Amino acid sequence: MKVNIKRQKSPESEPYWQSFEYKGEGHIAVSAILDCLNYTDDLYDINGERADRIRWECSCMQALCGGCAMIINSRPALACKTFADEIEGDELTLEPLSKFPVVADLMVDRSIIYEYLNKARLYTEGDSPSPGKHHEQQYSVAKCLKCGLCLEACPNFRPGEEFYGPVFANESYLLSTQTEGKNKALGKEYVKHFQEGCSKALSCSIICPQNIETLTSILRMNRKY
Amino acid sequence: MKKILVIGSGLSGLVCAIELASRGIHTILASPYPSERAQSVMAQGGINSPRGEGDSPELHCEDTVRSGGDIADRDAVYSMCREALEITDWLERLGTVFNRDKKGNVSLRAFGGQSKDRTAYAGSSTGKQIMSALVREARRYECEGLITRLMGYQFHSALIKEEVCYGAILYNEIKGEMEAVYADALVMATGGQNGVFGKTTGSTLCDGYAAARLFLQGAALKNLEFIQYHPTTVETPQKRMLISEAARGEGGRLYYEKDKKRVYFMEEAFGEKGNLMPRDVVAKCIYDAPSKVFLDISFLGEKLISERLFEVKEVAEKYAGIDVTCESIPVYPSVHFFMGGLWVDKCHRTTVDRVYAIGECASMYHGANRLGGNSLLSAIYSARVAARSVSELSEQKEAANFTKALESAKAELTERRQSQSQFSAMYIRYEMAKLMNDCLGICRNEEKLKEGIEGIDYYLSVCEKLSFDSDVSPYVSYSLMPMLALSKAILTCALERRESRGAHIREDYPERLEKYRRCSVICYNGGEYKVSFEEEGRV
Repeated sequence: MKVNIKRQKSPESEPYWQSFEYKGEGHIAVSAILDCLNYTDDLYDINGERADRIRWECSCMQALCGGCAMIINSRPALACKTFADEIEGDELTLEPLSKFPVVADLMVDRSIIYEYLNKARLYTEGDSPSPGKHHEQQYSVAKCLKCGLCLEACPNFRPGEEFYGPVFANESYLLSTQTEGKNKALGKEYVKHFQEGCSKALSCSIICPQNIETLTSILRMNRKY
Repeated sequence: MKKILVIGSGLSGLVCAIELASRGIHTILASPYPSERAQSVMAQGGINSPRGEGDSPELHCEDTVRSGGDIADRDAVYSMCREALEITDWLERLGTVFNRDKKGNVSLRAFGGQSKDRTAYAGSSTGKQIMSALVREARRYECEGLITRLMGYQFHSALIKEEVCYGAILYNEIKGEMEAVYADALVMATGGQNGVFGKTTGSTLCDGYAAARLFLQGAALKNLEFIQYHPTTVETPQKRMLISEAARGEGGRLYYEKDKKRVYFMEEAFGEKGNLMPRDVVAKCIYDAPSKVFLDISFLGEKLISERLFEVKEVAEKYAGIDVTCESIPVYPSVHFFMGGLWVDKCHRTTVDRVYAIGECASMYHGANRLGGNSLLSAIYSARVAARSVSELSEQKEAANFTKALESAKAELTERRQSQSQFSAMYIRYEMAKLMNDCLGICRNEEKLKEGIEGIDYYLSVCEKLSFDSDVSPYVSYSLMPMLALSKAILTCALERRESRGAHIREDYPERLEKYRRCSVICYNGGEYKVSFEEEGRV
């Protein structure tokens, strides 16, 4: 299988494309393919030229940490949850997420996700009440990986603008059910940084590797504010 | 104002930062990636909380010490068990979405080696649910300016002068620069030593380097030979993946087939609760089984599996192509947890003044084998203990000058960047892991351990003579030599403990011996690895 990778040596340098040959087959995740390429004595590209090791973020290798989010054959996805035998076509094309600055190759700097959550002061105040009827949705939302895939897929999210994206909606929902005293300020932040910018394209729900029902969070928040 | 540097933003690091910040102490929380990437999010099963009927901190302590091969410090373990209830209550108040019973109380499930059902859980993503609540709590202090996160930073070395620590040199992966961060104390929360074994059930980010580097800088390590092989992992092209102990806690049964009939060997050997024996026992029994061992949870029914074991179902289905609602899972033990690590006292101080260690990188509560449900608990408890101790420290009287150390780290970085060498640091890392897996398996013997030491010695000698290729992050090459030294230390401790206890099983010394009812302590001094066996708390 031919593996095309959009590469970049450092945040400042120019990106370039490089292709590799992966010789294995079967039900193997893209992350395992990257490992196979990297863990050789020397790495050569498809033209026989010596190549730098491929940089990508990886921690758990089983879709629990969100590190390996990237664009795989034009679709934002986790490399450890996308399998070579399930993709369309016989070539694999990997690019870094486009809405975040590149650190190196497929690694991006997603710190803006946290900057937004901090800016809106999304933290609990006082004791959290028993979840009751919110249990299922709270559990689901708390599994958010902060991988950035929903932000990549969202047609309305552009870093630096007022709209903070689906991560923010889910986090706001969680907090609204856990901190009653904070609801007024929270409502204001939610309306300004989510409600006013969301066109309900719902690509966030489709793309989420944790299958978080962001729509449920949005509906509950919109009903409240 | 006092300033503390915490390395690692997983469960232990986060709790320590929160505890320090809540006391008004400024904490710098440095890590290569956000807390969401930490291994803590992978913990599925639960956290022990002796709140069930007839349970008590005494019983919890007894189970922990006994399952740990009777070498853990009983006082320290008891203190942890005594605080366990309050810890779960705290997590609940912070908004951890625990499973609850009909009365709204936190539900408990059975776990291996425990006399009572005492493991509180949140579906099968307990670690993630706890982390999610703690990240929100930490955010409060970030907004108040009491916690400053340094993201994209790898540990390089501690700044030590005359056996006192003044902070650390960190490598900024984004800027590609070495930076000195000064602090009144350094708290290491860097996780287990997974990296010396390559891919384990845990995170690839926990590679053992930080503990290894401190070892070379004078910190003692303890109980390195005790490495937990989780009994139930499943082979996938990615890595061996964990099938949580929760699967057996909910009733899952282990068996092998003989003459087309199932042999429930754990139940035959240990009775009804045989599948929930401590992990070292189950792992050894699977290792000894005459044929492939399977774990069956299908009879639990789709509803229970979806509600309480969803992540188990998903892992098996997605990565191994197994539908657990109608098929059994082929399982085999694999490296999972490190009971050993940096030597710490009851306050979690290492042997270097003003350096603390917490969570899996420290060795304290688990003895020779860890109980399921105690890793999340000890990660949180150790962080709290360290925070209490750190908060009582005085500020450093005067700043020491580390200009030379920083210049030297910068020069090393430039040299690595400009290297024209074709020798791959990544490849040697890979070979080191292969050797460690081969020589330090579930059952060990002198011949294999010596072979391992010889192999590592070779790579250590190579390491001194080669500049490595520059086509990886400089971290990969500068971490290599200390990780090799750590590998040698682990093998040396395993060689010196000439008995079998807990997770350390010697084919050539199968008995448990009274003279080894001690912890192993290893120190490094100018290329020498010195092992001694000490009573807990007597170093």
